[in-house]
Formats: sequence, C-alpha cells, structure tokens
Amino acid sequence: MFCLLYNHQKGPWDEYLILIVSMLLSVGLMTIYRLNESLGLKQLVWIAVGLGMFFAFYHVYIKVDKWDRFAYVYISLCAALYLVTLILGRNINGAVNWIVIGGFSFQPSELCKILFVFFLAAYFKNPDNLFLTKYIQDERLRILLNRALLMLVVYCNIGLLVLQRELGTALLLYSTFLVVLYVFSKDLKMFLINSAFIVPGVILGYFKFYHLRVRVDAWINPWADITDKGYQITQSLFAIASGGFFGTGIGMGRPDMVPAVSTDFIFSAICEEMGIFGGAAVVLLCMLFTYRGIKIVLGLKDRFKKVLGLGIVTMIGLQTFIIIGGVIKLIPLTGITLPFVSYGGSSLVTSFIALGILQVISNPRFDRVGGEADG
Amino acid sequence: MDENKKIIHVLIAICSLFFIIVGYLTYIQLFRSRDFMANTYNRRQFKIEENTARGNIYDRNGVLLAYSEAKGGEQERIYPYGSLYSQVIGYSSKVYGKSQIEAAYNKELLGVDDLSQVFGMVSGSNLPTRKGNNLYLTVDHKLQALGGELLNGKKGAVVAMDPKTGEILALVSSPNFDPHAKELEKNWQSMVESPDAPFLCRAVQGLYAPGSTFKILITAAAIENGLENKVFDDSGSIVIDGREIRNSESKAHGKIDLKRALAVSSNVVYAQLGTELGMTKFTDITNRAGFEMGIPFDIPMSKSRFPYEKMDKTDLAEAAIGQGKILVTPLHMAMITAGIANEGVMMEPVLVKSITNSEGKSSKEIKVNRLGRIMEADVAEKIKVMMQEVVTSGTGYNAAIKGINVAGKTGTAENELSVKKKAKEHSWFVGFAPAEDPKIAVAVIVEYEGSGGDVAASIARKVMKEYLSH
Repeated sequence: MFCLLYNHQKGPWDEYLILIVSMLLSVGLMTIYRLNESLGLKQLVWIAVGLGMFFAFYHVYIKVDKWDRFAYVYISLCAALYLVTLILGRNINGAVNWIVIGGFSFQPSELCKILFVFFLAAYFKNPDNLFLTKYIQDERLRILLNRALLMLVVYCNIGLLVLQRELGTALLLYSTFLVVLYVFSKDLKMFLINSAFIVPGVILGYFKFYHLRVRVDAWINPWADITDKGYQITQSLFAIASGGFFGTGIGMGRPDMVPAVSTDFIFSAICEEMGIFGGAAVVLLCMLFTYRGIKIVLGLKDRFKKVLGLGIVTMIGLQTFIIIGGVIKLIPLTGITLPFVSYGGSSLVTSFIALGILQVISNPRFDRVGGEADG
Repeated sequence: MDENKKIIHVLIAICSLFFIIVGYLTYIQLFRSRDFMANTYNRRQFKIEENTARGNIYDRNGVLLAYSEAKGGEQERIYPYGSLYSQVIGYSSKVYGKSQIEAAYNKELLGVDDLSQVFGMVSGSNLPTRKGNNLYLTVDHKLQALGGELLNGKKGAVVAMDPKTGEILALVSSPNFDPHAKELEKNWQSMVESPDAPFLCRAVQGLYAPGSTFKILITAAAIENGLENKVFDDSGSIVIDGREIRNSESKAHGKIDLKRALAVSSNVVYAQLGTELGMTKFTDITNRAGFEMGIPFDIPMSKSRFPYEKMDKTDLAEAAIGQGKILVTPLHMAMITAGIANEGVMMEPVLVKSITNSEGKSSKEIKVNRLGRIMEADVAEKIKVMMQEVVTSGTGYNAAIKGINVAGKTGTAENELSVKKKAKEHSWFVGFAPAEDPKIAVAVIVEYEGSGGDVAASIARKVMKEYLSH
C-alpha cells in the first residue's frame, strides 16, 4: 500500500522500513480478517487512520522546530493523559486504561510511550542538564538532582502503568529506559543502579499486587491451573503446537479458541495457521526492522535525534519480544500488542507515529530540525 | 564513537532475544507439541469433528457400511454390520483414535481436503455442521458377509479380488471385534491382551507359511527353465542333504510329469525342482512376485518375507514346498493368484473405488494400476491349465463348481503347533474362476484346520460361486 506513495529512485524515507512494515501489516490484516471479518474491516480503517497520522507527524515534525526544548510539555502531557484515564477510564479486560469517547475506545498509555521517548531524548540531549540549570551552580549537586528527578519521572510513569495493570507497557518503558541509560548515560553507575531496581521491584510487586502474582504463577506452571489462571497461555500453546512447522493452512485451524486472539495473542493464530515457519518469519521481520532502525540511528549526528531514534527502535523491538515471548511462555505473559500486526487503533496509530518520526529523522535533508547538529 | 559501539551492543542483544524466540518455538514444536496436542483441555482435537458429520462409507453397490449420527451434540459413528468390517473400515474413537480406512481417509471423510472448503471457512468458528465426503469401497457386501459367515468361529482370512483391476471384493479376517467407540473403549484392554489378536487384520497383516500354494510360483520358474515336460520319479519321500521330505501321507505317485505333480501336490517333485533351480532363479521369481516389497495399499499391509541370504540344498527344497522361512500375507497370495489369472500381470490392490462429496458429485475416481509382471502370458496360460487339473482331478476337488471351470491350488502349511503334533496344519486354498475369463481370484486361509483340500477349498468354492451367480 505504500508503493503508490513512494518514489523508488530518491525516496524521502528509508524504503526498507516501509517494506517491512507493509509485510507485517498484511500478515496482521489477513489474520484478523480470517478471525473476524468485521474486525478486519475496522483494522483496515485503522490502518488508513494510522497512515494519515504517519504523514501528519512526518510533516509536523519538519515544521515544528526545537523538539528538544519541550521536555516539560512531554511530562505534563503524560501526566494529563494519566489523569484523564483515572477519571474517565473504563475497565476493559481487567485493565483500567481505556478512555471511551463516542463509541471509540482509546488507550492513552500507548501515546505515553511516544511522549516518554521524547522526554528521554530531551533529557539526554545534554545529559543531566535539564532541570534547574539556572538555579544551581554546583555541578555535582546539579547532576545528582537531575538524575534524581529523571528517575522520579520515569518511575512515576512506570508506577502509574502498574497501577493501571498495564504490566506490558510498564516493562517496555523500563527496558527502554535501561537501554537509553546504557548508551547515553555519562557513567555506567546510573545504568547499574537502575538495572538493580528490577529485583526489589518485582519482589514488591509479586507480594503487593495480586494481578502480577497471577501472571508469574501462570508462567511457572500454567498446567496446574489450566481452567483459570493458566487458561490463556495453555490455549495459546495448544494453538502453536497444532500448527506444527508448516501450519494447518489459513482457515483450517481453530485459533478462535484462544482468548484475545486478534490482539495480544495474534502470534498464536499466525503460528497455528502458518506454522512456526510463519511465526519465525514475523519474528525475523521484526528483527530486520530493528536492524534497519539501528542502522539509521548509527548514522545520526544529532544527539536528540539519536536518543529519539534509538528509543523508538528499541521500543518496537522489545515490544515484539515481550508479547511473543509471553504467548509462547518464554517469559511471563503481559498484555501488550504486537506492533503493526495486532488489532487495535491506539496501538496501530502509535506505531505509525513512531514510524513517521523514525523516517523523518532518517532523512539528512532535515538535519537542522530538532536541534543543532553537533558534528 | 563510543555511543555507536554501545548501540551495536543493543542491536546484538535485541537480535539475540529474537533468535531465542525462534529457538524456543522450534523446541516447543520438536519436543513438547505432542504432549500439548494430547492434553484433554485442548478442545481443538474434537472441535472439527463435532462440526463435521463424517462421510458415509458404502460398498461397491451402494450398501451403507458406516455412517455418523448426531447424538447429544456429538457425532457418533455407526457400523450397521458390526464387526464384519472392523478390520477393513476400522474404528473412529475419541480415546483410541482411528484405524484402517477411517484413519487413511480421515481427511476425505471429514471433507477437509477440498480447496473450496478453505475459502468458505473465513469465519471458521460458527460453522453449521458440515458433511464430509462419502467413500465407495470396492468390496461387495454380499461376498464379505458370506466370508464372515464361513469363517465364523474359526481363525483365518478370506480375500477375494478382481484379477483384472486389482479391486478387493472381500477382505474378511477372523476373529474380529465390535468397532463402535463405546464398545471399543469398554473392551480395549481385554482385546489388546487376547491371544487371539482380534485387532490383527489377518488378511493383510497375518504372515503365514504359504505351504503348497507356493508351488504355483515354482511351477512358473520350472516352465521358464524348460522343465515343463520332464518326468519325475516320485517314491513318496526323498532325502536331500540328510533332511527327509515326504509327500502328504507319504503317498508314492510313481512316474509323473509337472502337471500331475502340481495336481497331486507332490512334495518330492517340488523339492527336487527347488534344488535344481538354485537360489538365483528362485529369488528371481520371488522378486517378480513382490516378496520383500512394500506393496501400496489403503490400509497397513505387511511385507511378505523371503529372508534368505544364502540357500543350501535343504533350504531350496523346503522353500520350494512353501515351508522354511517364507511367509506371505493372504492378500499377497491372492494377488499372485490373480496375477496368473490376469495373464501374468499383477495389479495394485485397491480398496476404495471412488470418493463423492455430500451432494453426490464424484470428486475422485481411484485409478487402476499395474504393479508388475510376474511371468510371461504363455507361462501363465500353462499354469492356468495345470491349476484347473488340481480342481478337476487333484487335491482341490472340493473347490469344483458345476458348470464353471475353476483353477486352484491347495496348501497345507505347517505351523509352530503342528510341528509338535499339538494342532493341525493351516489350511490354504488359492484359485480363480472362470478359468477362461477370470472374474474373481480368492485366497483362503483357515488356521489349524488341516488339509487345504477340505476346509479352505470349500470356503473358496462358496465365495466364488456366490460372486459368479450374480
């Protein structure tokens, strides 16, 4: 669907990313349509909306300069979205993270992912120099305070997501944060301290939050509680096992027995009907996406863009790992969508926005946008 | 740039995670998928079948042999003739799976082989009950029922086939079992442990020494090697390398030719023929006849055995009279006989004549295939004449039908009990009729019933007569 819009000779964006995303979209759309015709048509509409947002953000990003100056805006927007969710939120599938406006349900946490990456990019544009720059002269104190505030913002974000039972997104933000710290933090100490947080975090969460404990129990032994806690994951494993290497053929399997099959568990449906060769193909496409994205990031000179690009690529790559790893019982299952494949408007639109930003920063013509080049 | 190096680390880390996923998926598929599939909470295995009425199975004339009926939301498989087809059609049970035709044609019976079905299945979850394809077997129900009646209470097999097309007309094995799922689940353990082996389809999986029925192949080799007109001296017994081989009741037949030797089933003559032919010519004819060869068939069939690496004179003598290490299945023996009836050409056996969809449109006609030539047509013609003499004035007189020329050969096969005089030999008969234009070839074996000229020959006569009378 991109081919018509895209000039092969001298495209304004990276053609491989577009091709990979087209393939993922097609596999997803086909599977969703096979599972539920009306959902498939809705997904088609969402793809169109996503495409619109893709172009919109592509051009807005070029027009609006100084993206690196809006750190406080990103935090406030994020906070506002969470607030709105808490007030207007509907409980859908056990997670209070949906806003329903005029019949359309919308998941604000999806947008928060993008805002989060923007915030990180603004912070690391000039590391540890974002907050209170004018008021504190002592450099060591300023760095310390900056880091503390950064962690406060990040963990508030993650904490709110856990409260909303958005474990997948929380895990995703946390791991993206760690990756950015690893690459851009001035010393490794910050990265190590934050990595260590996962241990008390998980222990605390396991004993404090029932919904987290259920996930872990279902991961360790889903067969013990096959009728309730382990139901989803075992049904997913049945689907994958019945597909074999080459799948039952599209329309020949029974992926409809897997709960949430068109969103979180779409990978199980793909494995059942297209075999694990089909599943591996999806994984490899995501890997190619990551590779291509990282390649763009490597060539970027501007620090803001570099953090932004890395954040986006890591986020999409890790999201894929977290959900696929979850449905095949490699890691505990956390509800999250498979980017570009799962059904879902918020997820699809967010992924398209992320793609648009990735494309615009990959274009050297707009090098001046979003901060001065430092090379 | 240091940052770029770290970005590469990130790339490597994420790619490794993806490879772990692919590796883990492969692990699941290779080592765990069987357990997952068999899990009782996996509704997948029953769901397709609940939504599909398995197709019907008919005999060649449209007699209904198996059908499915919805009972309390579940499909129940019903076999109107009970145990008669248990080893041909098999069973279809949720607990024990499927066997024979039910297993081999599962996809066809469920109707999931058709491409048009795929496109009609876009929303596969809410399908109304579908109807699978119907199978038409080559079996003639009248003949099968007669075979079942004649073998009732005995152990053995009756195979009847059309020599020209290879179509199986009857495939009876005894003892058998009740294939209905409920009965099967109730009696499974006792049937598995039964020394009578009711699950064994003797007609295609039972391996027996062919006894004197094997002499028809030795006769072919003898004719091919110019021994047709040789006259032998039969004194009732012969010693070959210290091993004494005797005729039935040690009867001496005096000076006889090959034709007469076959008619009276002279072990003395054939033991000599075996040693005279030697191993090379011996294995040549058994290879052409399909020993040690996997014969394609709709239900699992055992390979007939000719396991000699080296043959000394006693081996040759014993093998020539169908004893020793040679083992055949009744179906294979019927195929060899049919090959002689069909001018030396052995046909591939077929059990399914056609497949039709639920609206009755034929979707597949099974083709008739040549399996290979056992012997030249003139040799087959000569053996045919000799086999007629077996019935008119030899051991096979019990197979004679008034007004019809029957060709045949009896066999009396020693077994593990008869050697110790604890039981009688296995009773064999192979034959075809009418000799001038063969319509049916049969092989009958009845275990521990003694001379083939008695029990087996009269069963064969009744089967051939029944088939030729309509």
